[in-house]
Order: sequence, then structure tokens, then C-alpha cells
Amino acid sequence: MEGDGSDPEPPDAGEDSKSENGENAPIYCICRKPDINCFMIGCDNCNEWFHGDCIRITEKMAKAIREWYCRECREKDPKLEIRYRHKKSRERDGNERDGSEPRDEGGGRKRPVPDPDLQRRAGSGTGVGAMLARGSASPHKSSPQPLVATPSQHHQQQQQIKRSARMCGECEACRRTEDCGHCDFCRDMKKFGGPNKIRQKCRLRQCQLRARESYKYFPSSLSPVTPSESLPRPRRPPPTQQPPQPSQKLGRIREDEGAVASSAVKEPPEATATPEPLSDEDLPLDPDLYQDFCAGAFDDHGLPWMSDTEESPFLDPALRKRAVKVKHVKRREKKSEKKKEERYKRHRQKQKHKDKWKHPERADVKDPASLPQCLGPGCVRAAQPGSKYCSDDCGMKLAANRIYEILPQRIQQWQQSPCIAEEHGKKLLERIRREQQSARTRLQEMERRFHELEAIILRAKQQAVREDEESNENDSDDTDLQIFCVSCGHPINPRVALRHMERCYAKYESQTSFGSMYPTRIEGATRLFCDVYNPQSKTYCKRLQVLCPEHSRDPKVPADEVCGCPLVRDVFELTGDFCRLPKRQCNRHYCWEKLRRAEVDLERVRVWYKLDELFEQERNVRTAMTNRAGLLALMLHQTIQHDPLTTDLRSSADR
Amino acid sequence: AGRERKGPETNIAAQSTHPSSANHSKEAPEKPNYALKLTLVGHTAAVSSVKFSPNGKWLASSSADKLIIIWGAYDGKYEKTLYGHNLEISDVAWSSDSSLLVSASDDKTLKIWDVRYGKRLKTLRGHRNYVFCCNFNPSSNLIISGSFDESVKIWEVKTGKCLKTLSAHSDPISAVQFNCNGSLIVSGSYDGLCRIWDAASGQCLKTLIDDDNPPVSFVKFSPNGKYILTATLNNTLKLWDYSRGRCLKTYTGHKNEKYCIFSSFSVTGGKWIVSGSEDNLVYIWNLQTKEIVQKLQGHTDVVISAACHPTENIIASAALENDKTIKLWMSNY
Repeated sequence: MEGDGSDPEPPDAGEDSKSENGENAPIYCICRKPDINCFMIGCDNCNEWFHGDCIRITEKMAKAIREWYCRECREKDPKLEIRYRHKKSRERDGNERDGSEPRDEGGGRKRPVPDPDLQRRAGSGTGVGAMLARGSASPHKSSPQPLVATPSQHHQQQQQIKRSARMCGECEACRRTEDCGHCDFCRDMKKFGGPNKIRQKCRLRQCQLRARESYKYFPSSLSPVTPSESLPRPRRPPPTQQPPQPSQKLGRIREDEGAVASSAVKEPPEATATPEPLSDEDLPLDPDLYQDFCAGAFDDHGLPWMSDTEESPFLDPALRKRAVKVKHVKRREKKSEKKKEERYKRHRQKQKHKDKWKHPERADVKDPASLPQCLGPGCVRAAQPGSKYCSDDCGMKLAANRIYEILPQRIQQWQQSPCIAEEHGKKLLERIRREQQSARTRLQEMERRFHELEAIILRAKQQAVREDEESNENDSDDTDLQIFCVSCGHPINPRVALRHMERCYAKYESQTSFGSMYPTRIEGATRLFCDVYNPQSKTYCKRLQVLCPEHSRDPKVPADEVCGCPLVRDVFELTGDFCRLPKRQCNRHYCWEKLRRAEVDLERVRVWYKLDELFEQERNVRTAMTNRAGLLALMLHQTIQHDPLTTDLRSSADR
Repeated sequence: AGRERKGPETNIAAQSTHPSSANHSKEAPEKPNYALKLTLVGHTAAVSSVKFSPNGKWLASSSADKLIIIWGAYDGKYEKTLYGHNLEISDVAWSSDSSLLVSASDDKTLKIWDVRYGKRLKTLRGHRNYVFCCNFNPSSNLIISGSFDESVKIWEVKTGKCLKTLSAHSDPISAVQFNCNGSLIVSGSYDGLCRIWDAASGQCLKTLIDDDNPPVSFVKFSPNGKYILTATLNNTLKLWDYSRGRCLKTYTGHKNEKYCIFSSFSVTGGKWIVSGSEDNLVYIWNLQTKEIVQKLQGHTDVVISAACHPTENIIASAALENDKTIKLWMSNY
């Protein structure tokens, strides 16, 4: 079991080695070599690191160890005993010495503590101390480890709780296997989508005993990294702090919470961890409390941090922001401690202040003389803090009085001179009404035309068919020319061009929709818009009903139906005669009824649009007129007339 | 001191509604008789700017209480309030058809308002510091704004997008304006420079600079677009012929060392230069003779803005916190 038996050097030798060797590599172990690439174990007393090979402790064995002291320390001080994890395992082992069985379930966690990789990463140049923390951080991040023993798991896995410079392995934080994902440190992790700038363990996994104070779960604490490791040290944090650390917290717990062991069991651990001042002062160690704390207090909590109430502290953006700077802030031990003190005091003051706000009556009682008097009429009570009145009633009374006093004279002022805007409004309204009137007459005109048209169409239908030579009018002339249809692009015979193009257009149009969300609501006899509901687009078709190719099909033309289109001479003059060709054959007047009807309908639609506009204008003018000289307007504004004779500044006569 | 030209009178208003030939000016009385007619009370903080609408019906006033209030121009009656800005408003301007307003505010934005319905149409964002001054172009499709971030921006009204940014000066910009046909832009700044730009290309055509360069607090084109009126923080107003870069007239007697006080040409009756002043008076100078023809008393704080009605002999003036009112003065000529 012995090592090479070389002289044990005092703990500080490690630091001196830096300057002694002239290299940057600190040396360790009984072999005094700087090699850190193999497994090492640290003595909890002298803080010296030893190669596992040199002292014949394997990584596996070390997993079972909770506290380890080197041979020399043990020899010097017989009280120091190597302690192992978890009673169960100890019993199983049956021995309290180093010989613990290998118990490895993959993912052995105890990497060499001074990790060369981490050395590079620790850009802040804090020395090994910081790196050690990182070293313990990284393995956690990379692979979660089962902590709580469940029946399904191998009982040996309980022994795999890592123990290192920054992890005691016993507290709830050390036992957690999963990152919470919500704290600032987690959100910085790559696996949670962060930029990986902070690179610390999940807040909830920061060992409550051994982690840096500022890394622990203190969402209210925004202090920069503390400085207990301010000086670059090749080892882990100064030995002096190690043992008292846990007790510090306990002492504080005792102070803050009042209750001790039993309540500590019930309360979630973070409640004890949150008060910031925890790290400030040194408090006497209480070993019993410590035992309870570690052993009993936190077994049954599962993951208390995952409750919703804890969300908000984590998401404190200030905290996150501050956390990024953690690495780069200068370490000055005293200063930061002072800061924390101040913050603590401020925190307390804030609490007091909050209390004050919650109980305003107390302020009354304390100092009635300093409060202003309520402004209510005839009220002699003191006003509520932050208000001008003692109660709502007083406020309302004062407001009513104010209105009674001021409003009449304002109204009078307003009426002293004619309001020019009002006059303009009235004129505008007149004009709008007139336009609306004319629009309505136009509508009536349209109706008349509509009826006329229908009559014409009807009469035309009643005509008899007469086959004419007219059908062969422009026959032979145009057969050479070819017209291209505008819709489909095919060449067509000019004689049937019109017919074809109409059909073609209808075909394409029927494939598209044209509509709006609202069904038409016009009072009128005939339907203007198609208004067929399209469930897919939830719109009503807004084409003219007579024209809509999508929703109305041209009726089949019977063979004996006459075209009936009124013939014109020189485009405009009606001859009184009608086209007698059968509808099927007539190429000049294809669909003439449809088009004429559409013309009329279109005019009607236009008139309705105009009416709509006029309605809108009227509505606006009316609202402007009604809102003028309202209560608020009169109370808030005033126009003082200095020259009672001149109320209108216009020089020319009123228009 | 600027060089001044004696001799033929400078005709500033080629397009005014009243006949403005040289003959007529001889018949016009030498002094106006502006008298206080109306006081408009309603703002709860300093008023920063008052402007008459081009159709003469309305008066718009902007204030440090983040509101724009529209008053009837002829009777002074309150019409409506436009809400929306988050910080104090420094300037407001009408479009040529009197239907739109643009306001420049300390919240780094400009807002376009439809006056008839009182609605906010657009918010123009882009400036990086307080927006101090704004104006429409004569066809009212563009807005120009000057800001404390030392840039002048040209915005399109329809879309609200910034079309151009002129890195105009090295100090906050105190005034910007288009000329009467929209081809030129004048900008004045605390760096003492008054610059004229081509509106289409954004090129600086001319820089007017005086012997020493006191901060320029206000610039404006004359109604016919040939001259520029500049106010500087050494109690001086100057009228420049900018094509030659020469100062033609200088108007003094008022006090202006701290605030960017608006001034105006009055062309409806006699030809006057009207300006506010830090001694609580409104000063009126004869444009040609440069004499002070009238001082209007009534305000109890710095008169920050003075505007002239487009068709009537009405002046509107507004004052700062101590006063918070707008006063309407009328004259017979």
C-alpha cells in the first residue's frame, strides 16, 4: 500500500514548485511529478494530490470513498479515517480501509482532477483552482449519472456519486443527475441552445458545500465570482475553507430558519440556500447538524427545483447577464464581500420597504402630522399615502364640485361665439344629403331601365323565327383571316370569333373565385351580386349575378328561339326592328341580353358605391359634430376672447 | 456681420394672394396693428410649435405633453386632440391639402395623422435620436425630417419608408424645409451651417456660412423660393439671397440665444418678418426697412413659435411652460 516512500512534502510545496522548477507545471504526489494525466486522488487534509498508481488506489476504489486522507496525515493524526460512501456499501464491504471493491457501471466519473484540457479552457488564468471546478463541471455535463438508488438500478450505482474538489457527493445538488435546463448556467449550455460562454454546471447541481459561492443557486445574488480562489492556486481551494464550508451554511440555516433538523427535512433545500448572506460570515461548526443535513434532509425531495414557482428566479435576465461576466470580473475578495454585504442590507431594506407599502395605515398611525390633508370638500381627514384623497368618495365629490363650478362658464364661453367648424359641418351635411338624394334618383332611373330591358327581351322572344339571307352576310370575305382568341390563344374563324371568345373567357373565369367575406345586404328588388357561398375560401361570390360564369350556366337555347336583339343603324339609332335569326345561328348578337342586363346592373352597383361613400362621409361629419364641445373637451380646454366684438377673425363676410 | 444690399427691394412673395407689387407696398401702412383677440388654453406643458393649415381653417399645436391639438383658426375653438406619441413633440407640419399632419417627437419617431378622422396613419422610424423638425413637400408625397442624430431623412408618405438619409451636418439639425416647388431642401443646424440640397439627388448644392458661425436655430424659404430666412442664436435673423450666398437683410432687437424659435414671413397684408423671442414678446419687423414695427405683448414665457395665417392677417404665437397658451392676434393690415 505504500507509495515510494519519499518524503512527504508540506502542502504548500505544490505552490512553490511553480517557481522552483521554473516550469509552469505544478507537481504532485509522493513521486513529485507534474504528471496529471492519470487518475489522482486528493487528501482532504493536506490537499495534496496523489497518483492512484503511486498509492495503489484505483479509480474504481476511489468511487466508494467519501473522504480520503493520505497515509501521512493518517499517521500524523489518528482521528482521520477514510470514509466511504453510503452505509450500505460500507457494510457490504465490511472494511473501512481503502480496499473497496470495484464497482463500476460504465461512466466512471472520477477523471484526473487537474485536467489538461481544462487548463486550456480556463482562459481567465485563475490557475488550477478554477480548473478544478471546471473539471468537476464537465463530466457532469457530458453524461448524467444515476444518483438516487431505485430498485431497478443496480445498488452499486449509488456508489458512483462523484466526489471531487467541487463536489462533496452527498448533498442534493451532487446527487442530481440532470440539468434543470432553466437556470442561467443551463441555458448557456450547448445542449440547451446556449452560446457556451459561461460553462458552469447547472445551478441546481452546484455542490452546496464545495462549489463556488457565486455558482450556487442564489438567484438573488449577482455577485461576481468570489474570490476565495482569487489567488491562482495549483490546487483546490484553500484547505482552511474546506471543512468549515458546510457548517457555514448550517449555521446560517439555523440562524435564518430558526428550526433545525426536523424542519430542514421538510423544507426544500433551496430555501436554505437562497438567502444570499449565507456565504458571508463564518459560523461555528455543528457536526451533528452537518450529519443530519447531509444524510437525512434531502432524500425525499425528488426534484423540487422543477416546480413552477422556481421558474422566475432563473429567468432573471439580470442574473443571466451577470453570469456571463462571472469569468471576467476581477477577483478582489474583500471588495466582493463588501458588495454582498451591501446587497444583503439592501435586500433587507427592500423587504422593509415592501412591508411599508403593504400596510399604509401603519404609516398613518406613526406620523399623522406629516401627511397632507385630503382634498375632498369639507374633509379634514388625512389623505391616503400616494393619493390626494382619503377615500374614493372624497375624490368623486371634489370632481363633481369641479364640474359644477367650471362647466357652466365654459359652456357659456363656447356659446358666446358661433363655432365656425360647426357651421361648416352643417353645410357639409347639407351637401351630402343632396348628393345622396341625387344618387337615389339615379338608382330609380336604373330600375326603370332594367324593366325596360326586360320588356324588350321578352318581346324579342315572342318573335317568330325567320330564316334570312342575312345569315350569309359577311361570309366569304373573312374566311382568309384568322383571329386568335385572347383567352386560349387558338386561331379561330372570325365569324364565330365572338361566340368562341365569350365561351372561352367564361371557361377560364369559372375557375377563379372573386368574392368577399360578407354577404350582400342591399334593399332592392333584384339581386345584384352572385353571392354564392364558397365554403373553401369562406367567401361570397361578388361577381354580377347575370354575368358570373362560375355559378350560373347559360341556359340551353331551344332551336326555334329567335335572337331578338334590337337592331341599330349607325350604332345609336334604334331602327325598331329585331334580329330574326335563330339564336343558335346568330353570330353578331351572341349573349346580348346578358350583356345588356350586366350594363344596367353595373350602373346600379356604381350608384350604390357612391351612396356608400356618402353615408360614410355623413357619419363622420355627424360624429365630429356630436363630439365637439363634449364634457372633456370643455373642461380641458378654454378659448378666452379678449375682444367681445370680434369673435370671428375672418376679415371677409362669412361665407 | 452680413453684407447687406441697399437698393431695389427684395420681393419675397411672388405668389401671394394679395397684389404685392412695389406700388402697392407704398400705399400699405407702415405698421400693422396686431391686437390680441383670443387665448387658447388647453396644453398642460410647454407648447413647442403652432402651424396654420394651408386652407386656413385649422391651427395645429404640438406640445411637450405629447399631444397635438387642433383648433379652429378663426374662432379659436378646440376641435380635437391627437394622441399617440410617447415623448414630447417638437414640431408639427401640415400637408398641402390640409388633410394630413406629420409630427416629430423625442421618441425618435415621426407620426403621420389623418386630421379629419383623428387617426394615426403611419409611424416613421429610423432616426437614432430626438426628431426635431419636420415638413411636407409641396406635393405632399414626401416628408423631410431633421434630428439630433445629425441627419436629415426623406420619407415617403404612402409607405412610411425612409427614402434617403443625408448626413447633413455635424450637430443637431434645427430646421428643414422644401422650397415652394419641392426641388430644393434647406437645412440648418447647430454647427452654424445652413445647407441647401437638391431634393432629387441629395447633393449639397450650397452652404451658407457667416463670419463667425453661431448655431442656426431656424431656416425657412421665402414664399417665392428665392430667399432664405435664417435665425441664429446670437439674437439675429438674416435674409439671404442664397443663389449668390449673400446676406441681404439683418433683423435684430429681439432675444434669441437658447431656443429654436420659429419665425415667419407675413405676406397677407404688409410684408413683415414675424418672430418669437425669449423676452416674452412677438417681434414684427418691416421686411425692407428692417425696423421693428410692432412688439406684441401678452405671453408670460418665451415665445417659441409664431405662425402667420395663409390668407388673413392673423398671427398665432405659442409660449413655453410658464405660459402654455397660444394667442391669436389680428390686424387690419
